[in-house]
Amino acid sequence: METVIKVCRFDPGKDTVPTFQEFAMDLEGTQTVLDALLLAWQQDPSLSFRRSCRSAICGSCAVRINGRPALACQTLMQQASAHGGPIIVEPLPHFRQLKDLVVDLEPFFDSLKAVVPWLVLRDDYDGRMTPEVARRLEGPATCILCGICDAEFDETGHVKPAALVKALRLAQDPRDAAGIHRLRLLQTPPEILKLFLKELPEKCPKGITIDASKCL
Amino acid sequence: MIMHEVLIVGGGLAGLMAALTVSASADVAVLSKVYPTRSHSGAAQGGFNAALGEDDSIEAHIFDTVKGSDYLGDQDAIEVLCADGPEVILELERMGVTWTRRADGGIAQRSLGGAGFPRGCFAADFSGHVVLHTLYEQSLKRGVKVYPEWHLLELLVEDGGVAGALVYDLARARFEVIRARQIILATGGYGRAFSKTTNGHANTGDGMAIAYRTGAVLSDMEFVQFHPTTLYGTNILVSEAARGEGGYLRNTEGERFMARYAPEKMELAPRDVVARAIFKEIKEGRGFDGHYVHLDLTHLGQALVAERLPQVRDLAIRYAGVDPVSVPMPIEPAQHYSMGGVRTDVWGMTTLPGLLAAGEVANVSVHGANRLGGNSLLETVVFGRRVGKKAAELIQQEPSPNLSRETVRRALEPWNALLLSRLPDSPQADSTFAVRREMTTLMTNQVGVFRTGSELEDAVARLGQLKARYQKLSPPGQAKPFNYALMDYLEVGYLLDLSEIIARGALARTESRGAHYRLDYPLRDDRNWLHHTFARRGGEGPELSEGSVAITRYQPQERGY
Ligand SMILES: Cc1cc2nc3c(=O)[nH]c(=O)nc-3n(C[C@H](O)[C@H](O)[C@H](O)COP(=O)(O)OP(=O)(O)OC[C@H]3O[C@@H](n4cnc5c(N)ncnc54)[C@H](O)[C@@H]3O)c2cc1C
Ligand code: SF4
Ligand code: FES
Repeated sequence: METVIKVCRFDPGKDTVPTFQEFAMDLEGTQTVLDALLLAWQQDPSLSFRRSCRSAICGSCAVRINGRPALACQTLMQQASAHGGPIIVEPLPHFRQLKDLVVDLEPFFDSLKAVVPWLVLRDDYDGRMTPEVARRLEGPATCILCGICDAEFDETGHVKPAALVKALRLAQDPRDAAGIHRLRLLQTPPEILKLFLKELPEKCPKGITIDASKCL
Repeated sequence: MIMHEVLIVGGGLAGLMAALTVSASADVAVLSKVYPTRSHSGAAQGGFNAALGEDDSIEAHIFDTVKGSDYLGDQDAIEVLCADGPEVILELERMGVTWTRRADGGIAQRSLGGAGFPRGCFAADFSGHVVLHTLYEQSLKRGVKVYPEWHLLELLVEDGGVAGALVYDLARARFEVIRARQIILATGGYGRAFSKTTNGHANTGDGMAIAYRTGAVLSDMEFVQFHPTTLYGTNILVSEAARGEGGYLRNTEGERFMARYAPEKMELAPRDVVARAIFKEIKEGRGFDGHYVHLDLTHLGQALVAERLPQVRDLAIRYAGVDPVSVPMPIEPAQHYSMGGVRTDVWGMTTLPGLLAAGEVANVSVHGANRLGGNSLLETVVFGRRVGKKAAELIQQEPSPNLSRETVRRALEPWNALLLSRLPDSPQADSTFAVRREMTTLMTNQVGVFRTGSELEDAVARLGQLKARYQKLSPPGQAKPFNYALMDYLEVGYLLDLSEIIARGALARTESRGAHYRLDYPLRDDRNWLHHTFARRGGEGPELSEGSVAITRYQPQERGY
């Protein structure tokens, strides 16, 4: 299908405000917005955007597509062009734009540190875990640290959304010495946490669900 | 100038495991061209092999691996791999890996290709992802210094030893020199040399090519693994776990054709055997649309697929438009893994002092001519840990290498010139994209699953022409942040070097063994070819020589499945 994508351009050495550049191309509807960006890049090699796995598992290609944060490699062209107009690709909101679609990830990765983001092994852990508990941990363990939740949720208290997901996984881990006590450290107001858990599955590209009854 | 005792290049499983090990006793930093959690290790689905089961044994794991390697694996290294396996799996579990469990609470294991027992430890079908993120968490705990989106460009040599690295900071468009007493390469594979590959965009063989340019020996580069089951079109992987959980391969006649190729192991024969069988079916007219076969999970039921293969299901729905619970998946083989790499001993030491390597970039060699599913992830953590121990030990024993100003100045000169070079004013007839496209298509078509002398000769000649064209390109060397075009240009250069070595090795090896299959020499020839192919950089391209294979327990036998 003939498509036009409008990509946000910003070169800090040259521009004071971002602009848009249009690229016309011919793609299958079953190809992805990442494929479109790669074609745009061939037309203008100075375009910058991150990518790695192209299969929605590394979290590199989070951008804003037609106003909504999404993974470029997970968004099919037929979805992105369903509204009829050109496909608009911008950097993730709430992140500092460094160049074109590339944003500053340092504060994002730093934000994880607020929750002691590693397992603190209990002394008496005997190496066993029930399949049910393991399955419950699996959901949040699929987080790819793409940053989309941080771009989607404005207010989750002093702990940022992706860090919250990590903390909630560890809080439910029977191997963790702090375990459920981690929740107190979060200081996230219960109403906000509830809303976050309710909306996360729909906003997160991995559809992560966390059992609220175990966290509140 | 930045200084570290140990510098690790690569933030995938091998690099992070090495970093954690070194951090216990020495100063360490990780340099990675993508943020560590973006490394391609995270895409691994199937599992990590380890002989944990009561009926299983380390001995059996060793034998399966030796046989799987078509007797080209070094048995001393394979012994280390298999013996350390169970302990490393338990170490990962104590770090926080959420392994899938059995009803009794123990770690569940699944069948993977070429194995006599269910030996793959897994976390649903996100195994690589879960372990990568757990190691990343541990690296935060240990405060491991990471230089994210910094690219290794060159290894700096002084008095015959590696003494530092010249690197490029993509965000700031700046060169830096990092001095280190030991450098560990953990840069992964070169899948992007092939147009059809399961590998991500970052897998461009940088470490292998840079080590080769620096004078290190590469080994067994002609052995390239093609995974039998990748989604037709995108070549996104459908893990061997799909067959391990009971999936069938079928041709247009609905027949489970593996019965004719590997009656005992069927779909779970080693990958080289299955990939060739699929191509044969397609060639003989039993492929769909003449291009692909089916991987059928429809008899497994929704519950099992949803629980054990959730990622495979999502990927098939999204990228192939079929829900495997009810419709068979269209699949074709594609490049997947590099058995070859920078030659190391069982401690990860390369042929250059000061340089170590582990993971897919290395060839120690545990996979020989064909890797078994689940053995590569195991290799990353087992040898990542060992190489870390070795590096920490070496800095205690060896004097700090010297790195002269003169060496640094000489190394920086051409790179600085590159950054200042102006882009040509007129549009160019040729481009990195065009060279890359032709190289990758050539590699898939002529250096793929089935090879012949004449096609390989032609491939070598055409790679030479592509290299000549590459030399004439004007590098997109502007000093701008996030200049991916410049990185792409350099990566195509690495891939061209490696493609040439792969094709030349394949041409030279006049036998068929494991993943290297010559239609004109269809039999294994132990008399002439039971040896590694070493490649060293010479005046006119790679110089090939023979390296001996360590055979400790199992003499070569015929390899039937
Ligand atoms: C889709 C897929 C599924 C797989 N599934 C399995 C499985 O189930 N079981 C199994 O055993 N094996 C599997 N494998 C193989 C296995 O995953 C890989 O071999 C292994 O993960 C490689 O790990 P690594 O640490 O060596 O390299 P990688 O994870 O590839 O990491 C390489 C690192 O090097 C860095 N790097 C590269 N070049 C540079 C440079 N120039 N400068 C700085 N940094 C650089 C990158 O940023 C990255 O951090 C799979 C492979 C693929 C592609
Ligand atoms: S929780 Fe989801 S949206 Fe947030 S970082 Fe993880 S994967 Fe991305
Ligand atoms: S490229 Fe990895 S998530 Fe899109």
